[in-house]
Amino acid sequence: MAAAPSAADVLRGTLDLLVLKTLTLAPMHGWGISQRIQQFSRGVLDVNQGSLYPALQRLEQKGWIESEWHTTENNRRAKYYNLTRAGRRAVGDEAASWRRYVEAVELILQVS
Amino acid sequence: MATVKGLRARLRALFRRGAAERELDEELRFHIEMETEQNLRSGMPPAEARRRALRDFGGVQPTKEAHRDVRGRWLEELIADTRYALRTLRRAPVLAGAAIITLALGIGANTTIFSAVNAEILKPLPFASPGRLVMLWEENPEKGWHEQLCAPANAFDWKDQVRAFADVALYFQGAGQATLTGEGTPQILKAAGVSGNFFDLLGVRVQLGRALTADETWSASGVAHTAVISDRFWRERFGADGHVIGRSIRIDGQPTEIVGVAPAGFALPVEGVDIWQPMAWKPELRRKIFFRRAHFVRAIARLAPGASFETADAQLQTVASRLKLQYPETNKYMGAGLTPLHRFLVGDTQLPLLVLLASVALLLLIACANVGNLLLVRAAGREREAALRLTLGAGRRRLAKQALTESLVLSALGGVAGVALGVVGIRVLEALLPGGMLRSSHFAVDWTVLGYVVLIVLGSGILFGTAPALWMGRRSPAESLKEGGRGGDSRRMRRWTELLVVGEVALAVVLTLGAGLLVRSFRELISVDPGFDPRGVLAMQIALSGPKYDSASQQRLFFEQLVERVKALPGVEGAAVTTVPPLAGTGYTSDFAIAGRPAGEYYTEITHRSVMTDYFHVMHVRLLRGRIFTAADRQGAPHVLIINEQVAQKYFKGQDPVGQRITFDKIPNDSSEWSTIVGVVAGERQRDLSSEPLIEAYIPYAQEIQSAVSLLSRTNGDPSGLAPAIRRILGEMDHNVAVADVRSMEMIRAASLARERFLMAMLVVFAGVGLLLAVVGVYGVLAQVARRRTREMGIRIALGSPIGQVRWLVVRHGLGLVTVGVVIGISAALVATRGLGALLYHVAPADPVTFVTIPMLLAITGVAAAWVPAIQASRADPAVALRSE
Repeated sequence: MAAAPSAADVLRGTLDLLVLKTLTLAPMHGWGISQRIQQFSRGVLDVNQGSLYPALQRLEQKGWIESEWHTTENNRRAKYYNLTRAGRRAVGDEAASWRRYVEAVELILQVS
Repeated sequence: MATVKGLRARLRALFRRGAAERELDEELRFHIEMETEQNLRSGMPPAEARRRALRDFGGVQPTKEAHRDVRGRWLEELIADTRYALRTLRRAPVLAGAAIITLALGIGANTTIFSAVNAEILKPLPFASPGRLVMLWEENPEKGWHEQLCAPANAFDWKDQVRAFADVALYFQGAGQATLTGEGTPQILKAAGVSGNFFDLLGVRVQLGRALTADETWSASGVAHTAVISDRFWRERFGADGHVIGRSIRIDGQPTEIVGVAPAGFALPVEGVDIWQPMAWKPELRRKIFFRRAHFVRAIARLAPGASFETADAQLQTVASRLKLQYPETNKYMGAGLTPLHRFLVGDTQLPLLVLLASVALLLLIACANVGNLLLVRAAGREREAALRLTLGAGRRRLAKQALTESLVLSALGGVAGVALGVVGIRVLEALLPGGMLRSSHFAVDWTVLGYVVLIVLGSGILFGTAPALWMGRRSPAESLKEGGRGGDSRRMRRWTELLVVGEVALAVVLTLGAGLLVRSFRELISVDPGFDPRGVLAMQIALSGPKYDSASQQRLFFEQLVERVKALPGVEGAAVTTVPPLAGTGYTSDFAIAGRPAGEYYTEITHRSVMTDYFHVMHVRLLRGRIFTAADRQGAPHVLIINEQVAQKYFKGQDPVGQRITFDKIPNDSSEWSTIVGVVAGERQRDLSSEPLIEAYIPYAQEIQSAVSLLSRTNGDPSGLAPAIRRILGEMDHNVAVADVRSMEMIRAASLARERFLMAMLVVFAGVGLLLAVVGVYGVLAQVARRRTREMGIRIALGSPIGQVRWLVVRHGLGLVTVGVVIGISAALVATRGLGALLYHVAPADPVTFVTIPMLLAITGVAAAWVPAIQASRADPAVALRSE
């Protein structure tokens, strides 16, 4: 039916990091987050909503983000997510571990 | 107290959970809206924008999905599932094709039969407020009369005295014959006699001219001078000429003015009426005793505004009781009754139609079982696909739903093909339907029929889709991944397919037994001795009209000359006229008294007709006692009679009827005419082959002459070859004589069986198709089983098992399935065939012959179907078989 999407799906596990990273800029609603990730990755990464909202829920349960309902500029109600203090700390940790992982993969690719 | 608190806490949690879900709902909706708007901005059309947004939204966890905007989700899922279903079906064209063809057969047969049921039973009658019309009748337990024709004088009294009747119209049952002359070739028309208010009471609007009027029921001259003609007659004879109104035609020699043209399709009293003429009774008839004694009209009443059926019934009973007292001589035992007109008119067609409907329903069920099996087999082959999709986060319910959608898509496709087949079927049905079996012989697929088709499409989709759907949704993802879809599962799958096959066989047994009973009944019917020998006899209706034949002696002379000339034709063994040929129904019936019996003792309802001397020779009617008529039995000679053996057995037990005298009067008086019985003959069947001969008396034609007769000629060759010669003779004698219904007696006999033959043929066809499907089902399941057991068989053969024994394994399996199906089917059929009772002739609904032979045949067929896979399986090369896993 549909052609394969040109954008790569975000790898599981990295999504949490990307969401947290995006929220460091400003509070955002879910759709905004997904748009942002696409923008920043120059359209390479496509966030599957099927995993975005569960991820948001997971992060909220961990206490890294919190949510509040606000009215958008064109007068719609939307749920905005905000980074908590714990969340800011987590971004640093997660980012560090991600970099370690990428380096390891890089090394292996160079070797082989 | 604590419990109350706990309950409150629980409730709160529940509401809070609800709130969280509502929040999520709103959040997701917002997301989709934003996405949609973005799509709109990029220039997509709105519908596409929303669809794309939904699609991109992708697999939200099922738990959350359940709380999204219900309608949108439902529709979206349905569309997605439908597309998916179409894709997968396209990947399996053979399977899809087989399923669609199977379903189309079942649905097509249902469409065809249901369209007939719809036209005959469901559609309201084509009259104004048909629900307010009731059929009236008289009954007389003394004569064994139920729902009998009415005596006109009684019907007129009901009309005047029952306040709940707005009006009552009368008509002659069936159609008589009227001869049209002066318009080129004379033509015998089907003529209906009706009271003047007939059209108005029914609320039927003529398409041209005017209807008959109420005052035309009566006429001083006693002759009708007006007629409404049928649409068909108007088109065929007058080329649909708009100026036909006011035109004068000669009907039975009387100048008759065409005053109106009936609407197309108007078929009361019967289909094929050419003209409706007012009864035009002389007013003094109303006071004649014959008008109250003779029962020869049907009466329809329209209920008065506000009057209920019950009120009308009560009032009618009151009036009938009053008439009993008022006219004891004629009405002593006369009761009256009424029923809704619609119920009366569909009366005897209901059962055959419902039998047909039931059999196509069974056929569809068999088709469903078959398709269900096909899909199950395929579901088993899609283990990996299911497992894959489960790991990708699809819920089991989602998979089940998808499987069900696939089934519905299949049944919808089958439905479309089925309706197309059904339309063809309707044409076939119209062509095969015996004339006069149904009120109308034109059926169409209208909204009612389509609605029914949609219902059966949905029903059958759900029916055959349940098993595969359950199958797809039956297990947890973990389990599915661990196994490659083998083992315990396939055993469960086999249980299901076996269950379906057993059901299929059982249904096929019911259907075939029903068909078998009808076949048996039909064989009984055609072997019935009708009391005459139809072979080599040609029958034709001949009617004289005009001033040349005003006197009875002129009529007699004409027919005697005709018979002489026909006899002189080469190959003709004999010829005679009769007023009513056999199998054409009864002519006149009367009460009668026998000389020398106690005063006041009389007998009822003997049917009588007049025949020429040679009649018994021509028809090969056996003379049992006494003599047949001779040329001496003519006008002025002593009145004589020949009775059939039924009269002799009933009224002359232990005595010789020959020489006894009878009169067609209840209470003989001085002016009664007595006739002497001179002979007894074997009884002929008057109505149809399934009714025993009624008591009947034959009168010499010369002593009771009529102008419209049936000429019967026996030839030693092909009777239809005789027709041109007889027509030529008639032309030479008088070209104004009308001839109709030229048929061999064999054809008349066949026509009298047409309904039974039709019903039997239909059922045999349906049963045949059902049986074929069931056999295919059995074969399919066994082939599958055999394939799975190929390895086992290979090993067995390798270890030295005889091939026959290995094959027997498969055949035994098949035999087991078929046996269980047959046993269930027989039990079901014992109940189901009871409904056939009224349609069977000399065959019990639980006829042992049928119930033994047919299941035997089915079992043999089943075993034959089992042999093929058995042989295939045992041919497998053991080495290959071992590797095949």
